[in-house]
Amino acid sequence: MGRLLDVSRVTAGYGSITVLRDISIGLDAGECVGLFGPNGHGKTTLLQTISGLLKPTGGTISFDGADITGARPRDIVNAGLVQSPQGNTLFGEMHVLETLELASISKRARHGKAQNLRRVFELFPRLDERRTQKAKTLSGGERQMLSIGCALMCAPRLLMLDEPTLGLSPRLKKELAAAVGNIAKSGVPLVIVEQDVEFLLSLTQRLYMIEHGEVVREIDGDNAPDHDAIMQLYFGEAAH
Amino acid sequence: MIDTLIATIVSGLVLGSLYAMMASGLSVVWTTLGVFNFAHGALMMIGAFVAWTVSEAVGLGLLVGVASGTLVAALIGVLIERLLVRPYYGNRNMLLITVMTTLAAMIILEKGAQMIWGARLKQLPRLVDGEISIFSATISAHEAILVVLAPLILLSIWRFNVRTNTGRSLRAVGQNQRSAALIGIDVPVAFAIAFGLSAALAGLTGALLGSIRFITPSMGAEPLVKAMIVVIFGGLGSLGATAGAAYVIGLIEALLILWLGLYWTPFVLFLMMIVVLIFRPNGIFGGRQ
Ligand SMILES: Nc1ncnc2c1ncn2[C@@H]1O[C@H](COP(=O)(O)OP(=O)(O)OP(=O)(O)O)[C@@H](O)[C@H]1O
Ligand SMILES: [Mg+2]
Repeated sequence: MGRLLDVSRVTAGYGSITVLRDISIGLDAGECVGLFGPNGHGKTTLLQTISGLLKPTGGTISFDGADITGARPRDIVNAGLVQSPQGNTLFGEMHVLETLELASISKRARHGKAQNLRRVFELFPRLDERRTQKAKTLSGGERQMLSIGCALMCAPRLLMLDEPTLGLSPRLKKELAAAVGNIAKSGVPLVIVEQDVEFLLSLTQRLYMIEHGEVVREIDGDNAPDHDAIMQLYFGEAAH
Repeated sequence: MIDTLIATIVSGLVLGSLYAMMASGLSVVWTTLGVFNFAHGALMMIGAFVAWTVSEAVGLGLLVGVASGTLVAALIGVLIERLLVRPYYGNRNMLLITVMTTLAAMIILEKGAQMIWGARLKQLPRLVDGEISIFSATISAHEAILVVLAPLILLSIWRFNVRTNTGRSLRAVGQNQRSAALIGIDVPVAFAIAFGLSAALAGLTGALLGSIRFITPSMGAEPLVKAMIVVIFGGLGSLGATAGAAYVIGLIEALLILWLGLYWTPFVLFLMMIVVLIFRPNGIFGGRQ
């Protein structure tokens, strides 16, 4: 048995543009990892490739020992590999409860539906208060909560979060960070994409720094950088 | 005077029912795939011909005929999606390309029907004989069935859309394909279901219309044009608006025929359509987009 998620030497992109070059990441069961790096260097592209929205042109991806390279998104979700995408707009005309119920459509998620719904409302009481509100009228933070809630309704065995606190006020950011911490504590392995390295370090055991579609640095608890070193990582790289 | 008016309203109701069934099928495909299916009228015609073959030529009875017509139309609908729509999905010019491919499907189906069934006029018997009078107006019992059936069908599509997981997933796919895929909805299957359902509606409408009008290879053209006018009045986004517009157009058409006669009616309808397009590009009931 290998790792829970194993992305091995994957190349992918959009048409003739190659974004990911020979990238390899992975995590074991019970682990949380973080991805960070400058804007536009392929973090979202990597998650989309793992979720099957983009077909890799090279390399392999396996989840829980099964090869999922080029599999259909539906089958990947069915296997328990779930993503809450970046800046998700979800289904504007559908209301909160309807959206969450629909998100448990996959075979695996169906029987745990009532229980998962309760858990989502516990985690995000704001969603509970807004059950019949249309998604398009939710605030940015509430949408983010709905998006994570949807992912939880899929009964994830591995949850990938793409910038869950993007564009939120510090207060909301704290609220969401607490919720993400809660999810991690409940034992769901996480892959989190974030710009805030200190936030990532508080939640995860390992970080990958991604630049130009490659892993340029791997950080774990032992070699964790301090604040200045992080600034150096970002702005030092921006210099060239 | 009152008698003529009632008769006109009743015949408007029959037309409205026909248009509502046609336009709701167009709406299902539009809200899921963002494609306008020009073969919709031809699918209706296929439903009528297959119903005729099964019930008259083979002799299995009208009900089996109507069911077969509905089913065959649905299968052809799924085939059109698979062969003529899906390959262009994600293409920047998809809307334009599928206008052409579904127009091509229409021509193929019409010419094919002409080859298979010939040009001779055919007609189905009625589901039930006899007439029904509503106040002073009389319509055939068959037309009365159409009038009762249309709202029931619309209601069940609405319930399907709102209550069932399959219906909800069609709506989800129409609103955000990526998010739909990421919660485990099979997007290609949703496309096929939308096309199949829409084509089944067209086939059923055709099979029922085959007892009222003559069955010809081009019998779908006029209802398709009317359904397009309905859709322009109602917008394509919501089933309720589309259905409402269908009855309004049915009534307006019946009144126009009464006042202006058959010859000028299409002209005035199109004129109204142009005016609507100028002042309310999203339709009278369409609201914002
Ligand atoms: N649909 C697309 N078609 C073409 N190029 C794309 C597409 N989506 C993203 N790209 C490009 O791929 C590159 C990587 O984008 P990606 O969204 O993966 O970056 P990211 O690391 O997630 O950035 P951010 O931190 O801003 O979210 C960028 O140069 C972007 O312009
Ligand atoms: Mg991104």
